[in-house]
Order: sequence, then C-alpha cells, then structure tokens
Amino acid sequence: MQPLRIALAQLAPRLGVLEENLARHRELLAQARTAGAGLVVFPELGLTGYQLQDLAAEVAMRKDDPRLLSLASETKGLSAVVSFVEEADDHRLFIAAALLEDGGVRFVHRKLFLPTYGLFDERRFFAAGDRLRTVESRLGVKLGIAICEDFWHLGVPETLALDGAQLLINVSSSPGRDLAAIHEVGLGTAASWRTLMRTYAQLTTSFVIFCNRVGMDETISFWGGSEVIAPSGEAVFTAPLFDEGLYTVDIELGDVRRERIGLPLLRDERPELHLRELRRILAHRTGLEIDEASEPDEGAGTLPPASRTTGRREKRP
Amino acid sequence: MSAASGDGQSGPNQDADRLFELPPELAIDTGIARRVLVDFIRNQLRQAGFSRGLLGLSGGIDSALVAFLTAEAIGPENLLCVLMPYRTSSPESVEHARLVVERLGCESDLVDISAMVDGYFGRDGNPGAGGEAVREAAPLRRGNLMARERMCVLYDRSVAWGGLVVGTGNKTESLIGYTTLFGDSACAFNPIGDLYKSQVRQVAAAIGVPEPIIRKAPSADLWPGQTDEAEAGFTYPELDRLLFWMIDKRRTDDELSAMGFPGPTVERVKRLVATSEFKRQVPPVAKLGPRTTGVDYLYPRRRPGSART
Repeated sequence: MQPLRIALAQLAPRLGVLEENLARHRELLAQARTAGAGLVVFPELGLTGYQLQDLAAEVAMRKDDPRLLSLASETKGLSAVVSFVEEADDHRLFIAAALLEDGGVRFVHRKLFLPTYGLFDERRFFAAGDRLRTVESRLGVKLGIAICEDFWHLGVPETLALDGAQLLINVSSSPGRDLAAIHEVGLGTAASWRTLMRTYAQLTTSFVIFCNRVGMDETISFWGGSEVIAPSGEAVFTAPLFDEGLYTVDIELGDVRRERIGLPLLRDERPELHLRELRRILAHRTGLEIDEASEPDEGAGTLPPASRTTGRREKRP
Repeated sequence: MSAASGDGQSGPNQDADRLFELPPELAIDTGIARRVLVDFIRNQLRQAGFSRGLLGLSGGIDSALVAFLTAEAIGPENLLCVLMPYRTSSPESVEHARLVVERLGCESDLVDISAMVDGYFGRDGNPGAGGEAVREAAPLRRGNLMARERMCVLYDRSVAWGGLVVGTGNKTESLIGYTTLFGDSACAFNPIGDLYKSQVRQVAAAIGVPEPIIRKAPSADLWPGQTDEAEAGFTYPELDRLLFWMIDKRRTDDELSAMGFPGPTVERVKRLVATSEFKRQVPPVAKLGPRTTGVDYLYPRRRPGSART
C-alpha cells in the first residue's frame, strides 16, 4: 500500500476575516498538493478564527455557501478537512468541520461538546451537534472527524472506532494555558492533549490526527503542536509549538491492520454490554427505572437497601 | 524557534537560586512565556494598526521586563521608554532605567513630573492648584497623583510617538490591588498581567534584564525608602505562593491552613483581593437598552475594521 501523505495546516486565522482565511486555505491546499499530500487537515474554525462572540453570525456559512463550494472545488484528487461556522436552515449556528473531497463537500460534522466553563463560552454562541458518524473517504478508509472538546469525552473516539473509523481526525483551537515548569513541554494544555491522543490511538488502534491552530485571538494564544499518532500509541510526528506552517507526514495505513491483528482490542470491545449498562444508568439518572423495584412499598422490606433507594420513581429534571 | 520548541531546554532557569527565591510551584518554562508574550505584543499592536509602543520605565523589574519583551517584539527602534521621576524618587531608579535603555538601544525620554505634582499639592509652604486643603495630603494621595500624572504623560506622548501604551503591572499587585486605578494600571494592553512577581523574575532573568534590577527590593518608589514588601508585610515568594494556591488552584481556607499558611495572612490577603475587585474590571454600566456593551453586545476588541488605518 502506498503511504498516505498527510499535511497538517497549522495556521493562524485572522479573527472574523473570512475572505483572507479562505485565501490562505486555498494557498495551503495548493502547497499541500504540490507536496504530494492526499489529506490536508486545517484547524477548528480555521476559516473564521475562534474568539468570535457576536461575530459568529456574521461569518456563518451554509454548507452550500458558494464560498465553501468554491474552496471544495479545489480538492480534486484530494481530501481536506476545513472548519467554519455553519448556519443551519433553522438559523442555528454550529462549529463545523467539513470533509471536502474530489471537488465537493462530502460530509459535515457539527461539534458535539461545547465547552462553557473556564475561558470558554461556546454554548452562548453556538448550538451543539447531535450526530456522531464516520464517513467513507476516497482514501479507502473511514474517517472519524471530531472537533476539539469532542475528544474530551471518551465515548467519541470509541464510537467512531466502533463505527469503522481507522483515522480519527481532531481539529482544534486549543488555547495554551497552565504555564508551569512541572508539565511536559511546560504547558499543561499540551501535556493533557498528548496524553489523550496517545491513549485514544492505542485503545482504538487507529491513527489519531490532531491539527491545532497557532496565533492569537485577543488575549488567547493557541499552541499548535499538531500531531499524528500511530495505532500503537506512538507519535509519528509532532509539529513545533506556536510555529505556523504546513507540516507533512507519511503514514502506512497498513499499520492499522497490523496493530488490530496483534492487539485485537476493538474485536474484544463489548458495545452491547456498554449499551445495556448505559440504558440502566440513564434510566436511573432520569428517575424512570422500569424494574418492579421502582415503587417499593414502605413495608415491603424484602429488597436490598440499595434497590430501595435507587428504585424510587422520581422526576429529576 | 528553539525558545519554544517544548524540548525542556528552556525550562526553569538556573539563575533563580542565585538571583531570587523561587517557590517551586511557580517555576515556569520561560521560553514558552517569552514566545507567547512577544507574540502577544506584536499582535496587539498590529491588530490595532500600530507598529510602535511606549511605556513608563521606572527602573524596576516589571517595566524593565516589558521593555525587553517589547523591544524583542517590534524592535528597539519602535519602543519609546519614558522615564518620569519625581524629585524625591531614588536616583538609583533613573540609573537602572538608563541601564535598560542602553542595553536595548531604544528611544527614551525623561519627563520630570515634580512640577506637575507640586503644581497641585504645592511646595515649600506655597499652596498649589489643589489649594490649602491638599498641602498636607498623605503619601498615599501623593503617590496616586504621581501615578496618574505619569499616565497623563504617557498618553500624551503616545500621540506624538504614534504608538500604544504597553502595561507593566504584574499579577501579584493586580490581585491585591497594589496599583493606582487609571494610574500605573492604565494601558492599551498588558503582557505581564498574568505573571506573578516570582514569574516576572524568571522571565526577566532569562531575557537578560540587568541583574541589579532583578536583585533589588521591589518598590513603588512613591516616597523615599518605600519597599513593597515592607509596606505589605509579606514577601513576594510568600504572597505569590498563597495567591497561586488560593486563586489558581482553588484551595479552601482549611486546605491553605493545612498547607501552613497562617490564618491571619490568608484572611488579610483574601480581603485585599476582594476589596480590589473594582480595580480589575471595567466600570459597570446600568443595563437599560436591548443590547449593552459588555453584557449582551460582545465583540472581540480587535474585530475586523477596528484597526487604525
């Protein structure tokens, strides 16, 4: 199998300046093509910048926006993941990542988890996506596309891998923070991300491709450090921190098969067990247990105490 | 850029032990800090449509560090350092400020603010514009006026220089409110406002701020012999550690006490932080209209079209 050349476009978008960012994407797409890349990955909100606040509505595009289609038209013989603010028919705004392939928009993932804590305020400005799907790619494998915070929830990489993804792609605008010498690479954020990505690659026995932006929006600096992690959990490539650039790396897609044959973790996953237990947990959380213990008589006394307390039918909003 | 390659080469600097006391939890990768702060300065200026900056250079470590960072970001030829001594300021302050200017090769300007301050408070038994009532004003009032006169000078010079005023206040003094509102805290942006004094010292040592400036006792130099630590009653390493655990690491009073911080110190610092909240925020506006600045009209400061053209 031919190695796949991946280009990580670790760029610094201009906040709110869509036209300029589109031009930069075109430029880097062309560079990646010249460099022989088959897959080009751009960071989260690379087309708009991150700290948009009320600008979000002003830079939003529908997925059939001529500007997006025009960018897509430049992907003949290429796969590219680009990220923008998507406006839905009902005018909800999403943080979205699109897979552009062979000249068209093949797939759009809407960010599922919107951090609204600490320095983040995404839920104020955006709606959360509801679908987690893999997508068949011209590369001959399924891709699992996620956006930044999506990867801070275990179920996301797991579901994507179970759904057949062999390349997990995370596009990010991760703000660098927690500067302290005790962390690997001196930045708490970078240390955490590296741990996550290696873990996911190993546990899903998939490639993990992480593209994080650089540059600054207002007071926030984005740390870059884009990576490609092999299914063995080892880093194949790590881009420099903070430096803008188009970084290429070659991977052997055959490594997925090799790893999965040797370490059949995915074969041994028990999604049905997971699902059963999740149903139970959800029923409990929402106070909708359906087992007969759900409404114990005060005097029954035959149930173990745990069932009695958890089995009460209560509406908990 | 090896400075921020994340290879650990630029980790906690070895000068720390020799030049100052460094609490281990406050040790930072100075290469990353330097990279981020230099980018920040460059970005803030560029996004506002400026290529020049200026700052008040006191002779202390904070403004010296900001001068070094700004010179690195935009070149010393684009930096104007304004020295603004009062007649009672320590001569050493001006000497140290000159040391920085020489080292950087940047532009500098000296404005003696004595006439401005004395013009209000009066001098040698003669009342100033403030009248009899302010002749015996307490040092705090005098110090505040000095800080605000310096702000006036900086903002005036910023027009002629065609640059933005770069802030020089650190996180420690901001958190305890050891600043003069609209005085030394006034600026277009502040690169070091999230660095504790102990962290300012590390970056200063790494970037080459002259050692006498790093070693000397920090002082607002608002009256002779004044030092921050004598005035506050605790040392910077103590205060920085406490603020770090209290604020950044969200430790409760009980936890802080178990860590060995004396109860009265914790109480006092908490009070300083709470009572100075107003100094760290934009003045509030009463909400009346459909969209109100800072409440539900939220735009990036550097939105498209915001730059001076």
